[in-house]
Amino acid sequence: MQPLLERLMTTFPDAVRGVEVDTARNEITARVAAARIVDVARWLHDTPEASFDHITDICSVDYPNDPERFEVVYQLLSLAHRRRIRLKARVTEEAPQIASVTGIWKGAEFMEREVYDLMGITFVGHPDLRRILLPDDYEEGHPLRKDFPAEGRGWRSSFPFIPRLDEAPEEQTEGEVPEQEKQAYLVAEHQGGTRRREELLLNMGPQHPSTHGVLRVVLELDGERIVKATPDLGYLHRGVEKLAEGLHYMQVIPHTDRLDYVCAMTNNYAYVRAVEKLLDITVPERAEYVRTIVAEMQRIIGHLFWLGTQALDIGAMTVFFWTFREREVLLDMFEKLCGARLTLNYYRIGGVDSDFTPDLVVRLKAFLQTFPEKVNEYNQLLMSNRIWVGRTKDIAVISAEDAINFGLTGPTLRGSGVDYDVRKYEPYGVYDKVEWEVPVGKRGDTYDRYWVRMEEMRQSARIIAQCLDQMPEGPIMADVPHVIPPPKAKVMRDMESLIHHFIIFTQGFKPPKGETYCGTEAPKGELGFFIVSDGSPRPYRLKIRAPSFIHMGAFDHMARGYLISDIITIFGTYDIVMGECDR
Amino acid sequence: MEIGLRLAVSLAQIAAVMGVVMLTVMVLTLAERKVLGWMQDRMGPMEVGPYGVLQPIADGLKLFFKEDIIPAGANKFMFTLAPILALVPAMIGFAVIPFGPSMTIELFGMQIKPFVISDINIGILYILAFASIGAYGIILGGWSSNSKYSLLGGLRSAAQVISYELNVGLAIVGVILLSGSLSLVKITEAQAGGFWNWFVIAMPFPQIFAFVVYVISSVAETNRVPFDLPEAESELVAGFFTEYSGMRFAFFFIAEYANMILVSCVAAALFLGGWNAPYPGTILGHLGLDALAWIENVVWFAAKVYFFLFLFFWLRATLPRLRYDQLMRFGWKVMLPIALGNIVLTAIAAYFFPR
Repeated sequence: MQPLLERLMTTFPDAVRGVEVDTARNEITARVAAARIVDVARWLHDTPEASFDHITDICSVDYPNDPERFEVVYQLLSLAHRRRIRLKARVTEEAPQIASVTGIWKGAEFMEREVYDLMGITFVGHPDLRRILLPDDYEEGHPLRKDFPAEGRGWRSSFPFIPRLDEAPEEQTEGEVPEQEKQAYLVAEHQGGTRRREELLLNMGPQHPSTHGVLRVVLELDGERIVKATPDLGYLHRGVEKLAEGLHYMQVIPHTDRLDYVCAMTNNYAYVRAVEKLLDITVPERAEYVRTIVAEMQRIIGHLFWLGTQALDIGAMTVFFWTFREREVLLDMFEKLCGARLTLNYYRIGGVDSDFTPDLVVRLKAFLQTFPEKVNEYNQLLMSNRIWVGRTKDIAVISAEDAINFGLTGPTLRGSGVDYDVRKYEPYGVYDKVEWEVPVGKRGDTYDRYWVRMEEMRQSARIIAQCLDQMPEGPIMADVPHVIPPPKAKVMRDMESLIHHFIIFTQGFKPPKGETYCGTEAPKGELGFFIVSDGSPRPYRLKIRAPSFIHMGAFDHMARGYLISDIITIFGTYDIVMGECDR
Repeated sequence: MEIGLRLAVSLAQIAAVMGVVMLTVMVLTLAERKVLGWMQDRMGPMEVGPYGVLQPIADGLKLFFKEDIIPAGANKFMFTLAPILALVPAMIGFAVIPFGPSMTIELFGMQIKPFVISDINIGILYILAFASIGAYGIILGGWSSNSKYSLLGGLRSAAQVISYELNVGLAIVGVILLSGSLSLVKITEAQAGGFWNWFVIAMPFPQIFAFVVYVISSVAETNRVPFDLPEAESELVAGFFTEYSGMRFAFFFIAEYANMILVSCVAAALFLGGWNAPYPGTILGHLGLDALAWIENVVWFAAKVYFFLFLFFWLRATLPRLRYDQLMRFGWKVMLPIALGNIVLTAIAAYFFPR
């Protein structure tokens, strides 16, 4: 890494303002002049020694007191060299603009739109710079700026756009959508020019049976063929990142449950891992095993959910009920483990909330014995079905280069033949202590992604089985008194513990000043948390890298040229959950 | 006087057939959900009445009391007409179906055939003709709703019905060649005397290919899974009837189920011997109860029809939906050549080995 940084410094002596290497967290940050960001980024992307081909995330931090107020943060990943780098560029409040890197990474398009939307930084050269999570006509500013109030804005009547109950509803006048508003969803120009232009704009969602929540897609159609597909996100935007800035570190955990509500456990895991990295806490071994087992159970649940819904979208109804049968068994175990079934709030900073009981181990083992058979059962219903194969083979093909360029992760990337899996690249938990494989596809079509996920379920079962055998006895919470409250039983009996408990829960704990990015392999892809800490008990900035959101960036690319029916297949193959996508 | 009586008898017959069909539709809505539930490890409807048997009544009441909405910008006349156009042809087809043996009874000095409303000599053409009109209901419903989803559903339906009706028609030709008649009564009678005389396996040329083509095409014609593209829920919300509510929606719904029954009846009559038992004569007839033999025949007919209806449910539980282009390719490139080849071979066989 060091030679690369030196080369970077010598190649751009004026552009690179400084390089910080955080050896404890194994992170490298380069501060770059905003004016030269594209040059540096292109060099990092193109140079073989660097080859940062995967853009993980772009976010922004607001420092109101600094002369250059806004900081744009680029998280890059080199798949070839398995290392990450963070680029930071500062822009001023008077001229909040920076050149767009969409020419280098196509995936940057959605990420930059988000930064523009929430922080108000303009990206020069961006092809379609509109608001993405907030409505187009949102006039109250950019919420992630520190001067945007975090509190509520009053009651119902203070929102002029919410219909008042005591007033008669505004009469809906029928009529066409103005031509001007349609323009955003149409292809700029058609090739040839001789072709008669007869496009049909079809609005799909947010109320549609198969948009997996409140996703809206505007399709430009030529017959039933898709000319352009424009996702319109943000119908479920709750401002989790802004909310987190007003909460103590441990108060954020329940909010992560609601990101990808199908797989709440992995969200918890991703978040507590990031905080632990920031605090430099080591988790006891038993807790690591429990965390790994639970995360893999959650992966199976997530994939079962995906399989059921994807098959249901394509019209195979029965698979849905069969997968939910198995999902139910696992949810019952979650209920036994922590009392909840969907929003679990189970992981704690420094460990987990409750331990596996012997009874639960027996139940889980019994489940694992029958589970591979069940996976084969689903396979029989689909894999040997010519209609299913016809509906998934060669649909929504994305090449490995494009998939990397768009910043895709998880099964969506692995279906294209890239073996990037955070669990292997940067092992955490006990993934390096058990044997398992990363399944990869070949062609990058829906069928391959289907196959990858099916295989992942089998691998997860394998991981759980090994973990259950290896799991040692021991504590499930780390012993770090300034961060972790004492066990509840002690709090009720012991004065010191009560005070200790009280202090942590009222004041929170204060991590050191610093920042860290931590990615975790969620069932949908890499779920990353970027935390900036200013030494206070609340995160100064918490950025969630949501895989669903970034996958939507490649939607148009994957949908063009296919039929309306295939749109449904693409929704399914992404395995999107809008709670995570819109945050 | 005699005309009046004849009319009264015909009306009574129509009322009886309509009653049976509507009752079957009710049973089907429940049976479908129960069968699907059984195949999918769940119970199906369980709340209304014991084991949910009263569910169809609850559904019917609900639909009856729902608000009838006509969307803004819809063509009101067409919008109102479409459900009727869909339902009436589905019902009218039953007029030529022989439900039981073709006997005549004397009533008020008139010859009456109790098990067929009207034995016209072009019965099968009549059914095909009215089935085509049913497609207008769907297309008009899709077009007049002033909704893009409905329009797409209607267009898909138009393409699908045209492609698959052709196959239905061609599949039937083989049977007509062998039986030498277009009347369903005659066709059924030609298959008497045991299951080896049923056209699906009868010599000189078994119509097994035509049978398969007919069954698949009729699934497509009734817009059922895996050919339910006009109403593909996950793509087009509800396709051509997206904008319909209340009783108008119920009309489309009943039409779909009535169509299912109709094509099942036709399949049973054309290929599986209609009301004929799979053995010569009837057991009751052999026992000397000739007067009651019709019961056995009617039961056999019902059993065959229900076998087809079960097949519809079974397909729905098993298969994903085809895509539009795959559907068209399958219809024109696979089914049509098979149906045409079957006609040629049947014609040759029928010429050399006349029955």
